[in-house]
Amino acid sequence: MSFLGSVAGTLLAFNDPLVPTSGQGTFWMPESASTQAPFVDHVFDFITVLSYFFQIVITIVLVWFAIRYRKRKGQVNFEDDGPVHNTALELTWTLVPLFLVVGIFYVGMAGFLDLRRAPSSAYEVSVTAQKWSWSFDHPEYGVNQAGVVTVPVGRPVEFLMTSADVLHSCFVPAFRVKQDIIPGRYSRLWFEATKPGVYQLYCTEYCGTDHSKMLALVEVLPEDQFQETMGKLATEYMDLPEQDLPTYALDRLYNRCSSCHSLDGSTAVGPSFKGLWDRTANGETVFKDGRRLSDMIGPGKEFPEPEDYIRDSILVPQSHIVQNYAGAMPSFQGQLKERQVLALVLMMKYLDRMVDDQGNRIESPDLNELDPGMGEVEASAPEIGDENEFDAVATAGKGG
Amino acid sequence: MLLRPQEKVADMTTLEAGTHERPKLVEDNYLTHTTGLKSWLLTVDHKRIGLMYLVSVLGAFFMGGVFALLVRTQLLTPEGTIMGQDQYNQAFTLHGAIMVFLVIIPSVPASLGNFILPIMLGAKDVAFPRLNLFSYYLWIIGALFFVMAMFTGGLDTGWTFYTPYSTDTNSAMGGVIPALTGAFILGFASIFTGMNFLVTIHRLRPPGMTWFRMPLFPWSIYATSVIQVLATPVLGITLALLVVERAFGIGIFNPALGGDPVLYQHFFWFYSHPAVYIMILPAMGVISELISVHSHRHIFGYSFIAWSSIAIAVFSFLVWGHHMFTSGQSGLVSVIFSAITFSVAIPSAVKIFNWLATMYKGTISWNTPMLYGMGFLFIFTIGGLTGLHLGTLATDVHLHDTYFVVAHFHYVMMGSALLAFIGGIHHWWPKMTGKMYNENAGRFAWFLVFVGFNVTFLSQFMLGSQGMPRRYATYPEDAGFQIYHMISTYGSYVMGLGFVVTAIYLVASLFSGRKAPANPWGGRSLEWQCASPPPWDNFAEQPVVGDCYDFTVLEWSEKEQGYVWRSDIPHPDGSPAAESEGSH
Repeated sequence: MSFLGSVAGTLLAFNDPLVPTSGQGTFWMPESASTQAPFVDHVFDFITVLSYFFQIVITIVLVWFAIRYRKRKGQVNFEDDGPVHNTALELTWTLVPLFLVVGIFYVGMAGFLDLRRAPSSAYEVSVTAQKWSWSFDHPEYGVNQAGVVTVPVGRPVEFLMTSADVLHSCFVPAFRVKQDIIPGRYSRLWFEATKPGVYQLYCTEYCGTDHSKMLALVEVLPEDQFQETMGKLATEYMDLPEQDLPTYALDRLYNRCSSCHSLDGSTAVGPSFKGLWDRTANGETVFKDGRRLSDMIGPGKEFPEPEDYIRDSILVPQSHIVQNYAGAMPSFQGQLKERQVLALVLMMKYLDRMVDDQGNRIESPDLNELDPGMGEVEASAPEIGDENEFDAVATAGKGG
Repeated sequence: MLLRPQEKVADMTTLEAGTHERPKLVEDNYLTHTTGLKSWLLTVDHKRIGLMYLVSVLGAFFMGGVFALLVRTQLLTPEGTIMGQDQYNQAFTLHGAIMVFLVIIPSVPASLGNFILPIMLGAKDVAFPRLNLFSYYLWIIGALFFVMAMFTGGLDTGWTFYTPYSTDTNSAMGGVIPALTGAFILGFASIFTGMNFLVTIHRLRPPGMTWFRMPLFPWSIYATSVIQVLATPVLGITLALLVVERAFGIGIFNPALGGDPVLYQHFFWFYSHPAVYIMILPAMGVISELISVHSHRHIFGYSFIAWSSIAIAVFSFLVWGHHMFTSGQSGLVSVIFSAITFSVAIPSAVKIFNWLATMYKGTISWNTPMLYGMGFLFIFTIGGLTGLHLGTLATDVHLHDTYFVVAHFHYVMMGSALLAFIGGIHHWWPKMTGKMYNENAGRFAWFLVFVGFNVTFLSQFMLGSQGMPRRYATYPEDAGFQIYHMISTYGSYVMGLGFVVTAIYLVASLFSGRKAPANPWGGRSLEWQCASPPPWDNFAEQPVVGDCYDFTVLEWSEKEQGYVWRSDIPHPDGSPAAESEGSH
């Protein structure tokens, strides 16, 4: 698929998931898509060619000696007229490798220092790594992205990264960059993408259960499309009518939940989202301390409405741990806007209209009429939050 | 008395036995000198302790190997074949922890070293025999703690125990404290063995064996012991701090408690990088013996090899930061560590060239130990050269924490250190057990192991440079990783089969193997001058020390099926060589 196709897909309808561009790499290296990559590749190739040379010479000598000087049948004793010592030869094979490695060291060091220092004009993205998802904030546009980060081509981009829990590491093979992410401090990583496309981003510092699912994509767009996308992302959930919020949540937000919460009913680190709304609305959920959700929902109780429980689980997940689960969920307080929380609640409610029993997406889900039988959407939405109020908070936050 | 043939010892025993009217002829050696379970469990004999270490270490190797095959099988498909995420994380953690702490670190020094080193020095035992037994039981206790870790919630931190993951009780599984305790105790086993060998080498060398007349194996053990004694305490302290943080919530490494996780990495690698040389240096010592004895050639550049061991031991303390180029340590620090790292490449390269030169104009036996020796030269060269990619700052940023690193350290730790250990087992098997194994089966198994190893790990270099991160239970389908994973997994099965064959013919040799002569290969160091298996006290009288790499004084004896002193050269102890043969 050409990058234009994937770009168009992103812009027109967000239910087409992004896939990494299948670029052409070499035998050793993956596709090269940053300004730093060619240099790294040259150093790599130089050392590799040197290694081939020494490996081949040593192997040939080894095999040649092994055959030429093999023990013949019936040989009972051994003449030993070979040298046992040769200072000139030994100094040669000490000093020649010494000069070679000094050279390699110097070249590698020079490139490394370049890798570390970002140009001051770099476009900054704040990255929060958290078990086991990535969150990307664009302070310039007030946009938050999850699972995918959109950056412009041909402009230096700097990630200012921190972790909410344990060590992580941000690795984009196509850019040849990697940097550990440490809780409680910031680390930086920069690159300048040279080709539009979609590139895989990995977590490369072991971080527990779903370490290998802690993936994200870097979407590199030409400048004008980048601006356009940022503009759209900045406002899209604000302007969406309520019936579009469930698909918005599934497309845009669910990939931060997906490593722990399945859609097909299979058990992972956390409970599956399949049937979660029914279990909640009927109060069937049982917690670690033995309490049942049905005893906690209702007027005057802890959760006036079932929606309040869902909201609570997203923002303060450690307050109620469901039975048989470890309680590994981090808090999303401050990372989601109120309307995004509402979108997630609605996504849970109407999940069975959007995905089938196997957890696969239904092509064009019917969400025009939100379930009249339940009749709670209209009633509960104001309780979750008066939108104007939250918009005001969000705006104030941005202004500050 | 040099090269005392087997029968002579047996004769003496028969005489003795006759006076006590013992019905059956029992050859007196360290295996039969005393009997009963207690005589083994409470023995202070270095040979028996060495043998017990060998059996225990091989048992742990089997376990670690099973975990390795589970890991490889899981990775056959992108979504994983047999395990969930948590099981996979436990499998690779236990594979790493067992192989590092229970297998490779004690492999050569504690088993082969314990057995061979005192005999090589013409001594009756190590300097502190009781400490030696104590260190073995520390190993057993440490191993039991690892087993306990598996049954108290499991262990999923990776063998590196990186904080804050390992100390956060919400993150890592419950087996962290038992595993840390186990590693702590194993550290003491390692320290005591090192101290014991240091004193043994200093104090128990026979008259005439100056430092530079020692075989190279003791040299490498000496360098290793220095590292063990100096570096292991740092690991002990670090692991104790981890336990304190996890158990009592005292903030040392966890930023949530005001600690510094990068500090942990410095502490950890301050031990664990030298530990890499604890693993490879003894293996290099084994290779020096294997190559010279089976090439029947004086070792080339003895003093360069000896000094390079010492140089590696010294440099090994100054390079730990190369594990942390992407950790966020300062750029200047990374540059300095990169520079020192390259300096370690030199003594390693020197050794390779010297071993090759030893083969020049030699008389090379193509038997199993020599095949392991030559395989080592090939594999260690790959391991060393790919270290250049990782020591270079610019390329390490891309390769760090990918399969390139996995392949690199398996080439050094498994392909070099462990296969040298296996080669050493073959080399000294006749000495330890008194039996010859089936040479053709040995060559066949070596071939399987060698080919299987290279198929398994060569493919992982491409996997890593293409961007596959390590410690992943699943991987993206569209990144082109699967084909390499499949090749790697099939290679690991071939290698596993090779080890099974090895186990079969070695065990079979105990029951049906030909009786081993005192000197089956034509070695000159002192262990080949005592009977196979050695008598209880190793030597009845102080052996005479000669040039341990001058093989021209030996000749093959059909009668002994082994090598004896040449009949046309007088014995260094004054008695004509022919005497021993003439006595029959």
